[in-house]
Amino acid sequence: MMHNNKFLGFWTILRKEVIDNLRDRRTLTTMGISIIVGPLLMFGFLWFIEKTVNEETDLVSAKPIELPVLGASKAPNLMNWLAQNNIEVVELNLDAASDQDQAIDKLVSEGEKLMILEIGSDFATSFEQSKTAPVRLIHDSSISGVKKIGFSTVQQVLARYSSTIGQLRLQMRGMSPQIIRPIQINISDVATAEARNSEILTMMPYLIVIFIMVGGMYLAIDTTAGERENGSLEPLLTQPVKRSHIMLAKLSATAVFSALTFLLVLVGLALSFKYVPIESITVSVDSAKVLIIFLSCLPFVFVACALMVLIASFTKSYKEAQSYLGMVMLVPSLPLVMLGILAPEPSVSNMWVPSLSQGLIIIETIKGEAIASPLIALSMLSSLLFAALLSYVAIKLYQHERILG
Amino acid sequence: MIEVRDLKKYFGKVKAIDGVSFSARDGQITGLLGPNGAGKSTTLRVLYTAFNPDSGSALIDGLDVVQDSLAVRSSIGVLTHGAGIYERLTARENVRYFGQLHGMSGHELNARIDELVDMLEMQDFVERRSKGFSQGQKTKVALARALVHKPKNVLLDEPTNGLDVMATRGLREVILRLKDAGHCVLFSSHVMQEVAALCDEIVIVAHGQVAASGSPDALRNATQESNLEDAFVKAIGSEEGLL
Repeated sequence: MMHNNKFLGFWTILRKEVIDNLRDRRTLTTMGISIIVGPLLMFGFLWFIEKTVNEETDLVSAKPIELPVLGASKAPNLMNWLAQNNIEVVELNLDAASDQDQAIDKLVSEGEKLMILEIGSDFATSFEQSKTAPVRLIHDSSISGVKKIGFSTVQQVLARYSSTIGQLRLQMRGMSPQIIRPIQINISDVATAEARNSEILTMMPYLIVIFIMVGGMYLAIDTTAGERENGSLEPLLTQPVKRSHIMLAKLSATAVFSALTFLLVLVGLALSFKYVPIESITVSVDSAKVLIIFLSCLPFVFVACALMVLIASFTKSYKEAQSYLGMVMLVPSLPLVMLGILAPEPSVSNMWVPSLSQGLIIIETIKGEAIASPLIALSMLSSLLFAALLSYVAIKLYQHERILG
Repeated sequence: MIEVRDLKKYFGKVKAIDGVSFSARDGQITGLLGPNGAGKSTTLRVLYTAFNPDSGSALIDGLDVVQDSLAVRSSIGVLTHGAGIYERLTARENVRYFGQLHGMSGHELNARIDELVDMLEMQDFVERRSKGFSQGQKTKVALARALVHKPKNVLLDEPTNGLDVMATRGLREVILRLKDAGHCVLFSSHVMQEVAALCDEIVIVAHGQVAASGSPDALRNATQESNLEDAFVKAIGSEEGLL
């Protein structure tokens, strides 16, 4: 025999739970979904971002923005300026008889035109006298999405024209334009393409951690609260197997499915990175990275499973266990929120925290930045310790008569 | 051989069993008879090591249920109250699982399962997955599972619960065959007729204590009643819970 007789009960229960749950459609559906939905969520999101960004760029740079102008002839210089800035001026002609202001507002509010520029009737006179010349830009602020970009571009171009003319006027009077520019703001973005990716990649730990939990959830419930509800826990406890072995076997079966789901999600994500054409993402997840992430995050599988089995053991029924575990799923995502907001560097002070440390390992590994192996060892050891502690409490609970409910 | 001495088990202020003593011999059928809530199930749960007693002792084949619980579990076969089986496993797999937990395997195990299938008449459904089994079929699987390792002592908690007339008759035959094979059979019931028909020894339990015990004849004599039912009522001192 491959195993010591002492652990016969353990292996028998572990094997039975695995076979039993492989026949459970819920378990299989969860795993099947994990390999498809994980990447779909991730890349659907990325694809959407990229599409939006592309459309934005197209709109701003490639295609001229169409701008209907009323009274264009009163401001030929401004029209030239607009044309130079890739804005296509379209002369707007309205019936002279009707109320022009109202007619314009109606055109925009009804969505016929995105925006209209109205040159005031005394624009030319005011301009010549170096006074503030009025123009009116009519738009609909309830319009959302990329259409808004046209409006803000026109606004910026107009503002630039205004400040350029202002500067010229000052210079003509022998004054430095700097007088009306007390400070100059210089912005430098030093982010590399990879680092910008990593911002999006903070999603990865969420997905992975959640699927690790989901993958083991049904077993955690089925082997504890489910078994009790089914009335088979008591017969099982009358078998000549130590309760600690029964508990550990159930925990191990849960971990098997959780780890399997974890691996499937990782492979799914890696394949998607390879075959889904998203130009803005220049990340590759090869099999080496998958292996590193899987092995170094494996201890978290035990933490998650021990936590779920422990909670499910406390509950009285399948349904109660389900609702509690739904909430428990939030616990390991809290450190990941912190990870998303603060983006800490891996260090001794954070690599002992389960879930947070795995999140860091996942992100850094995908980015191709190696984490010092002592830090990875710290993460693994600490998580194993947490798992051992939770398992110990669960075993203690199983020694208690109350487990029979 | 089961020996119970002054067993006590309290749940908070509730005295589930409060000084129960009796013994059940090999080759005999012993019935724990009593109204609902009398302490029958708690007594059995202590015997099959699910509960630890607060005081007193229980020995099965000379082994203490608390000190030697693992050895005790090897020597008993238990049909728990409302025994559940695994729905996604076939009847055979359910029985095989428990056989394996007792260290059985291979040909020996399969032969034993076939034997039980014959004895309990499970041929029609033994290879089917257990989902949708009738209560009678489920009880048969649970009973086969309890007997797979040929336990010397058999503990049955309300075994006829939910069974129809035919299934009850079948179960009675099985219990008699176990007796003939020299097993020590201890079962609980709140159904008088069932106990009267089967048992060599009756232990009447009420309010967590043994109200009377002995063979059916001895009980009738002790209570001066010709009818066992009247003897039972007299022994427990009221008609509560009597079916």
